[in-house]
Amino acid sequence: MLKFLLRRAALTLPTFFALMFVTFVMIRLVPGDPIEVRRGERGISPERLAELRHAMGLDQPIWKQFLDYVWALIHGDFGTSIISKTPVAQEFLTLFPATVELSLCAMLFAVIIGIPAGIFAAVRRGSVYDQTLMGIALTGYSMPIFWWGLILILVMSNTLHLTPVSGRIDLIKYYFPPVTGFMLIDSLLSDQKGAFWDAVHHLILPTIVLGTVPLAVIARMTRSSMLEVLEEDYVRTARAKGLSTWRVVGLHALRNALIPVVTSIGLQVGTLLAGAVLTETIFSWPGVGSWLIHAIFRRDYPALQGGIMLIAIVVIIINLLLDLLSGFINPRIRHGR
Amino acid sequence: MAVEALPAPVVSVPRSPFSAFWFAFSSNRGALIGFFVVAFILLLGICANFLSPYDPLEQFRDVTKLPPVWVEGGSWAHVFGTDPLGRDTLSRILFGSRLSIMIGLSVMLISTFIGIVLGLAAALRGGIFDVIVLRIMDLIMSIPDLVVAIMIIAVIGPNLTNTIVAITIVFLPRYVRLVRNTALVELAKDYVTASRVAGVGPLRLMLKTVLPNCMAPLIVQGALGVSDAILEAAALGFLGLGAQPPTPEWGSMLADAKDLITSNPWVMAMPGLAILVTVLAINLMGDGLRDALDPRLRRS
Repeated sequence: MLKFLLRRAALTLPTFFALMFVTFVMIRLVPGDPIEVRRGERGISPERLAELRHAMGLDQPIWKQFLDYVWALIHGDFGTSIISKTPVAQEFLTLFPATVELSLCAMLFAVIIGIPAGIFAAVRRGSVYDQTLMGIALTGYSMPIFWWGLILILVMSNTLHLTPVSGRIDLIKYYFPPVTGFMLIDSLLSDQKGAFWDAVHHLILPTIVLGTVPLAVIARMTRSSMLEVLEEDYVRTARAKGLSTWRVVGLHALRNALIPVVTSIGLQVGTLLAGAVLTETIFSWPGVGSWLIHAIFRRDYPALQGGIMLIAIVVIIINLLLDLLSGFINPRIRHGR
Repeated sequence: MAVEALPAPVVSVPRSPFSAFWFAFSSNRGALIGFFVVAFILLLGICANFLSPYDPLEQFRDVTKLPPVWVEGGSWAHVFGTDPLGRDTLSRILFGSRLSIMIGLSVMLISTFIGIVLGLAAALRGGIFDVIVLRIMDLIMSIPDLVVAIMIIAVIGPNLTNTIVAITIVFLPRYVRLVRNTALVELAKDYVTASRVAGVGPLRLMLKTVLPNCMAPLIVQGALGVSDAILEAAALGFLGLGAQPPTPEWGSMLADAKDLITSNPWVMAMPGLAILVTVLAINLMGDGLRDALDPRLRRS
């Protein structure tokens, strides 16, 4: 097990190095000298320019700059934002819980609705229910979620006044210092009346929007996997014993049918983070996705560089953990090639 | 004695590959609907010049924020209404369909071409070349697709051409890996060995012997790749990182309209509906293609 763990972890190292190289090159390809961009039109004396270049290490040979960059990254220094002058890693960690909270809720929403819908469609294969459910699922899969978000705001918030339009909580009514960064937990800890429900209200629309595509994927996946399992001999045996359909499905088929579904949930991490960029932009959700977009428009390239690096690290680590988990559950993967 | 002519024996001619495919495809109702909708949208896009009532950039300053004709206050002069600058929404949607289809097809064609070249080369050469190609593809896939696209756009700048470049790079790994993996399976088969023994050169071996047998999954991937590319391009346009105003691109039209959600919701509703219908139709068709061409291929 340890050998499998080490081998799997070692495989990610080349990816990390390539990633460092790409982000390093990326910043140098951006048109404009980083200092001139920063100093704007007011101009700057040649001495001051040389001084700043020296301070940023820009007068060093390019290979030395790259080594310095790698050295800094290994020591957890992801650069400093030009706009806020705070370390990128610190900014990222402040905003990241908001993205995690939203993503987890979206995934939960997708799983709770997607798996039962997929099972039901598979058991009633070819029926009206099956066709309707799969039609909805394909529509969800094809949904431009940025438009879906706007439509939901239009209907739920502007017309029916059921949910708030943006943010994580009503900042005028409730204020409490962040403890965990997760609004649902913090609002409970704050002991302020109604704060928790307000946070839940703010979560509803973003959760639906971000969860739509994963929900469609999970429903389709569950259905096809279930259909496959229902053809197996042991299911026929169970049926022949005279068990009811739902007993066969729930007891015998479900556990095996869910294996590929669980794997596909792991593969959705990237989809969720990409969707979070759009969802957070629509709902002014203060997470890393909207922060990344702001960084582009403010030309805050160090923040962009560090942010992309950190997002990639998060995705790689999550995938590594999921791999290890599936190796832990399924010995065939552990001992396989 | 006259010999009576025997009735002609009933010969069952095996279906040609195409008619077998068409039989399977057309028996799928959803796929057929998708196919016709896609054909219709394609036609609209091609004929946008003749069909659209106005120039998509022309501003009718006296009829701004007009609702569509089926809503009270609408006018037949502007069937889908007008935006805050008085531009005709129907014309913009029609020209937008041309752009979206162009983006989708370009991304698909370019990435299929590069995918075939890199994938076949990696499968045939193997060794260090294979490892390097796969590692680069892994790297692209390790970052969420939209984030990769954003990173590329940040470097090369936001416009229509760069949108195509960025999305092509983002989707390239799917094509490369697909071609490489199918080619590897085919390369191990006897007919390839037979061609090799017969002295067929590597280029001919890959292009004439192996490639045709990799086409089925590639066609399916290509169809679904078009819809994914259209969605991705619209997302970039929505974030302000794709086609720039006043280009009538669906995503950037949505971005323009998102602040009018209370005052003028129709300007926001139409482009999104156009994206949804187009992508849904292509996906329906793609699902049908997959079932008809390669029943083993499953799409999550």
